[in-house]
Amino acid sequence: MSDASSTINFLRKSVSRRSALKGLAATSAVMAGPGFVRYSQAQSSAPIKIGFQAHRTGIGASYGRWYERTTAAAVKAINGAGGINGRPIEIITEDDGTDAKRGPEVVEKFANQHKTDIVYGTLFSHVVIASAPAAGELKIPYYVVSEGHHVASTKLNRYVFQPGITDVKSQIQSTAPWIAANAGKKVTQIFPDFAFGHDHRDYLPPALKAQGADVIAQIAIPPTETSFTKYFPQIPADTDVIYHVMVGPAVLTFVKELGEFFGANRPQLFGFIDSLEAVDINSPGLEFLDGSHFWEGSPRYAQADDTEAQKAYRAAVGIDDNGASVDDAKDVSTAAHMFGCWETLYVIKQAMEACSYAGPQDRAKLVEATEALTQFPEGPEHPQGAKTFNGKIHQCFGSQNISRVEGGKLKVVHRTTIEDGLYEPEGDYTTQPL
Amino acid sequence: MRLPAPAPVLLSMVTLFAAPGRALAHASDRGFVLLLPTGHYIVGGALAVAASFVALAFLKPDALARLWTARLPLFRIRFDPRFATSALSLLSLVVLVAAGVAGSRDPLSNPLPLTVWTLFWVGLTLASGVVGNLFRLLDPWYALVRAMGGRAAREVPDLANLSYLPAIVQFAAFAWFELVYPAPDDPYRLALVVAAYWSINLVAMLVVGHARWTATGECFSVFFRIVSQLSIVETVRAADGFRLSLCMPGAKLSSAAPLPLSGVVFVLTSLASVSFDGLMRTFWWLDRIGVNPLEFPGRSDVMAANSAGLMLAVVALTAAFFGLVWLGEKISGAPAGFRRAAGLLVWSIAPIALAYHFAHYLTALLVNGQYALVALSDPFSRGWNLFGAAHLHVAAGVVMGPDSAWALWNLQAGAIVAGHVLAVIVAHAFAARLYPDRQAILRSQIPLTILMIGYTVFGLWLLSTPTGA
Repeated sequence: MSDASSTINFLRKSVSRRSALKGLAATSAVMAGPGFVRYSQAQSSAPIKIGFQAHRTGIGASYGRWYERTTAAAVKAINGAGGINGRPIEIITEDDGTDAKRGPEVVEKFANQHKTDIVYGTLFSHVVIASAPAAGELKIPYYVVSEGHHVASTKLNRYVFQPGITDVKSQIQSTAPWIAANAGKKVTQIFPDFAFGHDHRDYLPPALKAQGADVIAQIAIPPTETSFTKYFPQIPADTDVIYHVMVGPAVLTFVKELGEFFGANRPQLFGFIDSLEAVDINSPGLEFLDGSHFWEGSPRYAQADDTEAQKAYRAAVGIDDNGASVDDAKDVSTAAHMFGCWETLYVIKQAMEACSYAGPQDRAKLVEATEALTQFPEGPEHPQGAKTFNGKIHQCFGSQNISRVEGGKLKVVHRTTIEDGLYEPEGDYTTQPL
Repeated sequence: MRLPAPAPVLLSMVTLFAAPGRALAHASDRGFVLLLPTGHYIVGGALAVAASFVALAFLKPDALARLWTARLPLFRIRFDPRFATSALSLLSLVVLVAAGVAGSRDPLSNPLPLTVWTLFWVGLTLASGVVGNLFRLLDPWYALVRAMGGRAAREVPDLANLSYLPAIVQFAAFAWFELVYPAPDDPYRLALVVAAYWSINLVAMLVVGHARWTATGECFSVFFRIVSQLSIVETVRAADGFRLSLCMPGAKLSSAAPLPLSGVVFVLTSLASVSFDGLMRTFWWLDRIGVNPLEFPGRSDVMAANSAGLMLAVVALTAAFFGLVWLGEKISGAPAGFRRAAGLLVWSIAPIALAYHFAHYLTALLVNGQYALVALSDPFSRGWNLFGAAHLHVAAGVVMGPDSAWALWNLQAGAIVAGHVLAVIVAHAFAARLYPDRQAILRSQIPLTILMIGYTVFGLWLLSTPTGA
């Protein structure tokens, strides 16, 4: 049906961000007929086909839109600079509906129908976990941008990588030294009572313990809860810091009610920006957060000391100093996560160039080449910062940002070290056969 | 939890429509609505609908009739453009289906899903509710059937004697495809479904005649004809062409004939499906079916539950409507006959359905409408720019943030309340046709008015309660 044999060559033609992505999915059914020889030109100019497993519909769609924009920007930059091994990248987008069952179908489609070189770009953990076995069986490298610990846990398979964004275990652990040293030693956690919250419930206490601080209470909120005041009396009076990671539509209500409960006399607050990703921090009801701190993967707001690479990245993706679209100030980006798309594509480029990747027959070589990577220096390819890569667990490690809400903006006050986020590997993918 | 497609046959019969846009309405947008005093709106809305019933009690029965007969002539069209517009529509459909097969795989770049779900199902419905039956002009069969010498009969069949069962089955299948099937936006699958739907109905039209099949068989012909009864533009065929005039909303219903019971069920099915579309995203429903609303696993996982839910919604609304009409007949003291009462009073459901449609799909229309413009400018992703919109930046921010949430909520709540007030008025007007005196009219309307008030509350609750899917 869609053997995309016609494509726009980015090396020759300047295209908009949109057509960079969508143009490539174009199919020429006519040209795919018998007798048509694909890539009749020199093999070297045929595009590298990257299957983008995108959350275009379903609950992931608002994240998906920014993943798409970042991907388009990175592809434009890479192709503008000569592509990968001199070949342009062609992105083929398939929507997975943020649906666990459609995930593996999409992977299968990329492998067998579109015959993409790799699969890339998945965010939501349940789709990653469901799709990974298909990638392993079809032996197609699968580069996710998910933030989950599932890749690093080594419970997936050798074809799955997360080289462009750190995992949640590392993120949580990284924040502990700062919390213990700056916010307080007695921490109360408030989290939604399901997997996302459980990661925080499980990973934070040992990390804080190692820093001489303690979690003195853990308040699990049922996911269907929409009013929170009744839980607040459970917060111990001697709490120094409330560590909150609420998500979903009731987050704003949570903050508002927390403000009403404590008034001006509140403990320190530390949260993960996941709660308010893509939400304007200046929204009514969020005033209470002024002076509180958040984890950010990559800073939403432009910082006074931004690197040249960070500035160039923001311009390329099209976000303004407030982290919103340059074309639409109300469209706040998912800045804390979407940089992972940019960096992952550059890792793919690096690995493909390292093994002189020529086509699907080299997929196993590509896996090994990716596993052999160890360092990603800060720069235009890694604007979020330097990273290390552990080829045994297929996971990168990097610095995290801790930002303070000041005057309606998030100001980075601390950058963790890469070492803050390292942990003992839980396994070794490289022992699995290819 | 998984169930095979309830009826693959149904699926293949079905066509068109809806989800990408609402997916874009991410959690935080509803978060701002949660901060609004929506409870006050719900109480106010219920009171407004109740008050309209009370106000009608003091109106003379013929006051409405006089208002509804008022017309403001607009202009005259000398010829019927239907053949040309139908041919053009068919051509567009062919191009769109081709784009679905051969164009971008991305449902937000391919013009087919955007046209079907956003422009057609949302846009055309709302437009038809305002200006009249545009689908009559855009019907992609009429020109072909006529050109083929088929029985594109001009005679209008006697609607009262035909069963709406084929339209009900097709609409139910459509609703299931829209709301339950995991990938209604997938361009390729949608192209196949649209092509199958078009083909099956073409065959039916060649067999029984175009006029007859579009009267009660093809579900969108039926749906748009019903919706357009609310429009404020009236088109009347005259010796010298078509005369267009402006009228009050609902005024065209004053001459509406009673629908047969199957037609009543069709109207109720359409409202129930849009209502369930709202309901199935709420925390409340997800909790009922054992899904964590903060961790929605995807549509595939809830197919069985939502298939059952959709069916239940139709059954519940149908039972409620028939039960309350029956009760109204009972307490009127001068029963007009159940079939006739239900067949006329069901027209009062039409404004509610239109209001739900507007309120429910407003954000989808605002955002995906933009995606549609972009996609239509380059339907095959070849770098074309047919309508100059290929490089338009899709401003999703139009539905984001507290100000938008406030504005959208007010528009939605306003539409829901206005739709129900109009429903009460329409029901009252029909009751005046059914029952002999004011006492009987009022008494007969008490049960249905309670339904209207309940549905107002339900509609506003749907729009203000947390959603997670």
